Amino acid sequence: VRAAHSFPIALAVAAGMTWGCATPPRPRELDAYDVLKRSANVQEAAKRSPDLVATSDKLGTKATEEWQSNDLEESRRDALMAQIKLKTALALLEQEQLKKKIDAMNSDQAKAEEEFGLASKELAHETESLTLLQKYLEARQAAEVEKQRLSQQMTSEQQKAQAEQLRLSQQLETEKKIAAAQLALRTAETVDAAKYAKAEYSAASDMLAKAHAELKENDYPGAQASAEVARQSADKAAELSKPQYEQAEQTSQNKARDEALSRDASGISGVSVRIERRGDLQRLVLAVPDLFSKKSTGITAGHDAVLDAVAGLVNKYPSYPVQVIGHTDNKGKSGELVALSAARAQSVFSALVSRGVEARRLLVSGLGGDEPITDNRSTAGRAKNNRVEIVFLYH
Amino acid sequence: MRRRWQRAAGVLAVAAALLAGARAGEEDDLQRQIETQRSGASDLERLDDIKATTDEIALLRSWLDEAWALRSKHEYDQVREVLDRCLAQAELVRQKIAAAKLRAQAQRREVALRELRAKIARTQKSLEDTVIKKKALEGSAQ
Repeated sequence: VRAAHSFPIALAVAAGMTWGCATPPRPRELDAYDVLKRSANVQEAAKRSPDLVATSDKLGTKATEEWQSNDLEESRRDALMAQIKLKTALALLEQEQLKKKIDAMNSDQAKAEEEFGLASKELAHETESLTLLQKYLEARQAAEVEKQRLSQQMTSEQQKAQAEQLRLSQQLETEKKIAAAQLALRTAETVDAAKYAKAEYSAASDMLAKAHAELKENDYPGAQASAEVARQSADKAAELSKPQYEQAEQTSQNKARDEALSRDASGISGVSVRIERRGDLQRLVLAVPDLFSKKSTGITAGHDAVLDAVAGLVNKYPSYPVQVIGHTDNKGKSGELVALSAARAQSVFSALVSRGVEARRLLVSGLGGDEPITDNRSTAGRAKNNRVEIVFLYH
Repeated sequence: MRRRWQRAAGVLAVAAALLAGARAGEEDDLQRQIETQRSGASDLERLDDIKATTDEIALLRSWLDEAWALRSKHEYDQVREVLDRCLAQAELVRQKIAAAKLRAQAQRREVALRELRAKIARTQKSLEDTVIKKKALEGSAQ
């Protein structure tokens, strides 16, 4: 029984001895230190802060030894201190790393800013180029639009100008035609078309007035057509009138000239003047008597004044053909009388030629006694019939 | 005999007085150290404007409280140990604050750099677009 009672006591003593000699639980500060010690940057921290890390190591070792020596409180304090030292070393390492990083980033920042500056500058340059290009293109587009507008305007102006030119051309052409018609009408008037081609002249006048009216209304085709008709009518009127007019004019002129000739001839003393018609010809006959004695062919003296006057008259009217015709009375043979009269005419012809009359104008002939102007039965009558006549012929 | 006892008692009294004075001086010195460190902890709190070491400072304060309590118990050797640890902790806090500030600075730099790189990328993209547009315009201009 004594043994049974002593066994639990012995077991308790043995357990107490075993518990008292065993290693106590590791302090959590020491565990934390160990964990910290295993962190990646410890080696780097030792290089950066060798004293701190060495102190930490020393404290850590001491703390371990204190734990193993069962001096837990001391172990905990030293482990804490070891942690602090190591953490301080790590913080210093981190600072250094961060400083390097910041320096690197500063360098990167500077480079990036430089890069940004260059890119910005280039962008600004390109943007400016682009802006200029856009402005250029806009300006070009605007110029193109303006060009088209001007082109259209110019085309419009050209069309207007062409239309105006055409209008002016038509107007000019019309005015020309009207002027031509007016000229034709004036021409027709010069031949008295109003008198000799009344219908045509009236038509021409009317058409010309119509052309003027149409011109005023800018109806150029109508005016041109009217002017053309007016011109044709005027031409026709002129054509129709011309012969009549010319004939009338000639007649008028001839008449005046004949009258002048007659007056001048009547003014010559020693000659008798008569006008007679043979067929369609008029004859102004100047009978010069007493130029010859008996059967003589030579002009007796004292007739120069008469001959001069006659020659002057012939020369004054150069357009008249002139006959110099000798006449005798009826005393003698017909052939002889003709020869005598011709010789006497020839004498007068010569006298006139000698006074400046053109020989080719004078036709010399002798008619003998075939054309007495009075009765041959008396001496006075025969003397009158012995004569040389200067005959002016005209229509 | 009586005089010998009296002299001995006087020596003991002086010794006791001297010891008591030395202890009082040490206590005051430790108190000043604790207060100085508490003030330093407050300075560290102000310095840590980004609140990166809140836990470490809290730990520091708790150790300073512990030191104060030990001082009150006149455990001066332990107080010195704790104060040494507090000094080390304060240094750790300073370095951690410095590291945290550098980290923040690095982060700001990173952000700035990232933004700058983004700006560069945008600028380069704009540049490419501009060049393409310009070439297209040049093509149409001819």
